[in-house]
Amino acid sequence: MNYHKMDQEDILALKQIVEEKNLLTREQIGEDYCHDELGGISSYPDVLIRAGSTGEISAIMKYSYDKNIPVVVRGSGTGLVGAAVALYGGIMLETTQMNHILELDEENLTVTVEPGVLLMELAQFAQDHDFLYPPDPGEKSATIGGNISTNAGGMRAVKYGVTRDYVRALTVVLPTGEIVELGGKIVKNSSGYSLKDLMIGSEGTLGIITKAVLKLVPLPQKSISLLIPYPSMESAIEAVPEIIRSKSAPTAVEFMERETILFAEEYLGKKFPDTQSDAYLLLTFDGSSLEQVEAEYDKTAKLCLSQGALDVLLVDTDERKDSVWSARSAFLEAIKASTTEMDECDVVVPRNHVAEFIKYTHQLAREIDIRIPSFGHAGDGNLHVYICRDELNEEEWKKKLALAFDKMYERANELGGAVSGEHGIGYAKQAFLEQQVGKTQIRLMQGIKQVFDPKGLLNPGKVVCGASK
Amino acid sequence: MKILVCIKQVPGTSNVEVDEKTGVLKRDGVESKMNPFDLYAIEQALCLREAYGGKVDVITMGPPQAKSVLLEAVYMGADNGGLISDRKFAGADVVATSYTLSQGIRKMGEYDLILCGKQTTDGDTAQVGPETAEFLGMDHMANVQRILAVKGCEIGGGNTVTGEKTITVEANMDRYLQQVKMVLPCLLTIDKDANTPRLPSYRRKMAADENCIQTFSIQDFADQDENNYGLAGSPTQVERIFPPQKNTSKEIFEGDADLLTTTFVRILGGKKFI
Amino acid sequence: MQTLHIHEELVNEQTAGQLMTTCPFGAISYENGKLDISAGCKMCKLCVKKGPQGVITLEEQKSGGIDKSLWNGVTVFAEYEQGRIHPVVFELIGKARELAAVNAHPVYAVILGSQLNDAAQELLHYGVDEVFVYDRPELSDFRIGPYANALEDFVKQVHPSAVLVGATNLGRSLAPKVAARFRTGLTADCTILQMKDNTDLVQIRPAFGGNIMAQIVTPNARPQFCTVRYKIFSAPKRQEQAGGKVTRMQLPDSAVETDTEVLQVIEKPKEIDISEAEVIVAAGRGVKSPKDMEMIEELCELLGAHMACTRPLIEAGWFDAKHQIGLSGRTVKPKLIITLGISGSVQFVAGMKGSDCIIAVNQDPNASIFDVAHYGLVGDLYEIVPKLTEQLKGGHGR
Repeated sequence: MNYHKMDQEDILALKQIVEEKNLLTREQIGEDYCHDELGGISSYPDVLIRAGSTGEISAIMKYSYDKNIPVVVRGSGTGLVGAAVALYGGIMLETTQMNHILELDEENLTVTVEPGVLLMELAQFAQDHDFLYPPDPGEKSATIGGNISTNAGGMRAVKYGVTRDYVRALTVVLPTGEIVELGGKIVKNSSGYSLKDLMIGSEGTLGIITKAVLKLVPLPQKSISLLIPYPSMESAIEAVPEIIRSKSAPTAVEFMERETILFAEEYLGKKFPDTQSDAYLLLTFDGSSLEQVEAEYDKTAKLCLSQGALDVLLVDTDERKDSVWSARSAFLEAIKASTTEMDECDVVVPRNHVAEFIKYTHQLAREIDIRIPSFGHAGDGNLHVYICRDELNEEEWKKKLALAFDKMYERANELGGAVSGEHGIGYAKQAFLEQQVGKTQIRLMQGIKQVFDPKGLLNPGKVVCGASK
Repeated sequence: MKILVCIKQVPGTSNVEVDEKTGVLKRDGVESKMNPFDLYAIEQALCLREAYGGKVDVITMGPPQAKSVLLEAVYMGADNGGLISDRKFAGADVVATSYTLSQGIRKMGEYDLILCGKQTTDGDTAQVGPETAEFLGMDHMANVQRILAVKGCEIGGGNTVTGEKTITVEANMDRYLQQVKMVLPCLLTIDKDANTPRLPSYRRKMAADENCIQTFSIQDFADQDENNYGLAGSPTQVERIFPPQKNTSKEIFEGDADLLTTTFVRILGGKKFI
Repeated sequence: MQTLHIHEELVNEQTAGQLMTTCPFGAISYENGKLDISAGCKMCKLCVKKGPQGVITLEEQKSGGIDKSLWNGVTVFAEYEQGRIHPVVFELIGKARELAAVNAHPVYAVILGSQLNDAAQELLHYGVDEVFVYDRPELSDFRIGPYANALEDFVKQVHPSAVLVGATNLGRSLAPKVAARFRTGLTADCTILQMKDNTDLVQIRPAFGGNIMAQIVTPNARPQFCTVRYKIFSAPKRQEQAGGKVTRMQLPDSAVETDTEVLQVIEKPKEIDISEAEVIVAAGRGVKSPKDMEMIEELCELLGAHMACTRPLIEAGWFDAKHQIGLSGRTVKPKLIITLGISGSVQFVAGMKGSDCIIAVNQDPNASIFDVAHYGLVGDLYEIVPKLTEQLKGGHGR
């Protein structure tokens, strides 16, 4: 790819568009900006711009389009697949200063935000106004822009769905600098191709999201979690389809293994309320009153006990929720701390195949002699599987990691799954995407990319741009 | 080993404020819950029962609704509960509360060990435990972090083992830890984070017998003199309640390093950090 | 002695409803046309003052009454632990002098332990009129029985009007035991103390996690016990000249007999868990190299602070993950946190915004840490920290 190498002239031109303090050149850019949360790949942009408005972004895009400069958009940099790394240098547009909540529309139940608003800020804002913004990915300091760009899911997906289900409208700057408004504050829409939905999950390769109108729901007043111990991982996960079939509606169904809990204990320096059993399910129920929630979980609790659960433990007060959920929230960091290096896979499989898949990872771990801890959203089939390097040397690690990935994605594919449930494809998972969806779909995706971004300037080398071309 | 844990029902949130104009307390809802500090005491008691056998009972004083925290303790693993409830106990301060509790404890039966949480989230005084011990005529140890040894209470013991029953504990004394051997019966208050309390069990909830909770009123007590309870038995009086002065001031200092350092020292000194 | 009286004739659906919402403790119930005040009542009297007029009134009852003139002097319990007088004692003496002056009472100190000659003498340098000393080998370690007996003996012999005790773990264990023995009031963790001219001690303390203040008196019992935390009041300057006198007290042997046996006293291991720390110095990206941490460690040493850091320093491998403050690290709530070269990412702030006092040092006046800081110093930590350390060493340190 032949991009223009940025020079002094470009920097001066860009300083006409943005304030000087919001433009950092190569030597001023911190180390953080060359990688994302998981590390793996590393590359610096030539210029980092902290964008302030849609207008600014449009002007920057016009300039870079004319000059053939690649542009990568970045939020908090909490991604796990290298999507926000400037592989080809150029401009990195950081949206964290566009962090204003613009409007709460209580008649249409929507909130309008800039892309740099953090998930935790939005969640708090909604709660303060007696609303719930349901998508609840583990990384609370991610930006909404990033959440939309990966179609992030999170814990409540079982009952409430994923980010896609809550995006009503987007303001997008195209690579040419043109500004388009996609969707609207409308509940229904059957007007042509849904370009808004193409933007969701496109990981910054089609356009730049500068504003979003999101759907809210009334805040459930009560929530209670159940921590359900099982004698084995298999028995825990096999109970999930039964729970789903029973038509109770938990907001979250998480599974966790004893080993992972022990890592979290070590990492947090705090004991978990129960570690006697090999595996646990963690279910959450919400509703408008204690009675309603109790009636709801009662049915499930009885079902679980009849299906081999050792007990059902009630997580009903703030202290108890904290003791359980703080561990759950620390799993990723805890596994990271337990090993020298790791890579992750967030495959998603049909819910009734979760048990099968987990069993397979256990088998695989034994087969190729590598540690593969996992946890995840049992209720929606989205698993977080971590391959740990531990004491392996570089060569062995690379070999075993590649083998593990190949095998797992292959198995997921056989089960009717997909490469990524919520983290995205980014740089790291492109090959696996192609394996899964096949050449025809990749061709369609590349065609779409071509229409939006004919010069291939936006986030080059990601999603479907790295493989061929 | 027979253990009694004193617990309390407290407001579900401490987010209360006083309306500056009317002087009325503003509360977020009226929900209540078990005093979080008591959970550590219950957990400690259950661990002791697992090690030495015996039973764990719980007791509380409060309005009839306070029964729910006794049941919660039963779902966690306690055997029986006692609710001390009587309108004659209204307005009790620390002394009257402790005295009432001590009467209730005597009514509940004989115990080797009385456990309390370190303090409550609504009163914050950390006094009811030690005062109750005094009214029961026993020694106490506050802020116990660990129980190191128990002698004379081995499983099946009590009746068969002769000799003194003792307990060795480690207590937090701010700058140091004190390991103390005490003769049972005695009272301990359990420090925060001494353990991770277990969760209530739905299985136990299903199996629980309503009759495991007894209720006591002043008629059940050895001392029925109303002057020793409630407001009449309380030496302290609340004259008024008012909102605290909020220090929301915020100061930003700029200048050279010497000036900033002087400012720094002044702030640290003013706040008594140096 | 006051009691609440319900005027049944004024009770109806409406007034009962008003009263129930007025009562902050949910102690008022209304069932089958009968209004009831339960054990939840804290005698805040809001139902009298703010409820519907006249439904609940305050009735004065004749109290047993005591002769307050027989109880004189403001006493400080001079906690002596492991060879030192606890510093809260001097602060309490300062306050006791103010309180005693109102009614021209003497200031007493009572000290328990063994080999107390020097300690008793030291107290005389702070303006105590008389130090009562219980000096016995059996009192060398804190054991509740003998300590309570000694303090009880003092109260019986001296009849003090008020006793101020430091709200240390020892004080919070001993004071209630003795207060219960005299069936008198004890108010914990007072932040303001005032003396009425009838010798009633006005005790003000925070309640409900500091959201409200309660003013408490003990009008019909003596002595009046209260506890006060360390660093609430200011210690008076030590005077060159010692004043007052030392009185040695005797105890019968039976008073120091106890079944409780102290096996061991262990110096507390220096806390490594920052979530429990009272003072924290946190370093961020503004610290340029790992060797600069020495300078910051020295400051920690002087302030008795625990060292913490932000995520980038963990990732750089300078610290163990257990030192990280933030959403993916520990949540801290110290009395004081000093942030050095920390910009204040949302990630970090979420883990420390509950701190009582936040002092931020950062060169960038626009750093978001200044939004949450109570005191912001816009400057270079490399200039400020060494100067601060120097000043603290020059006699300002503890």
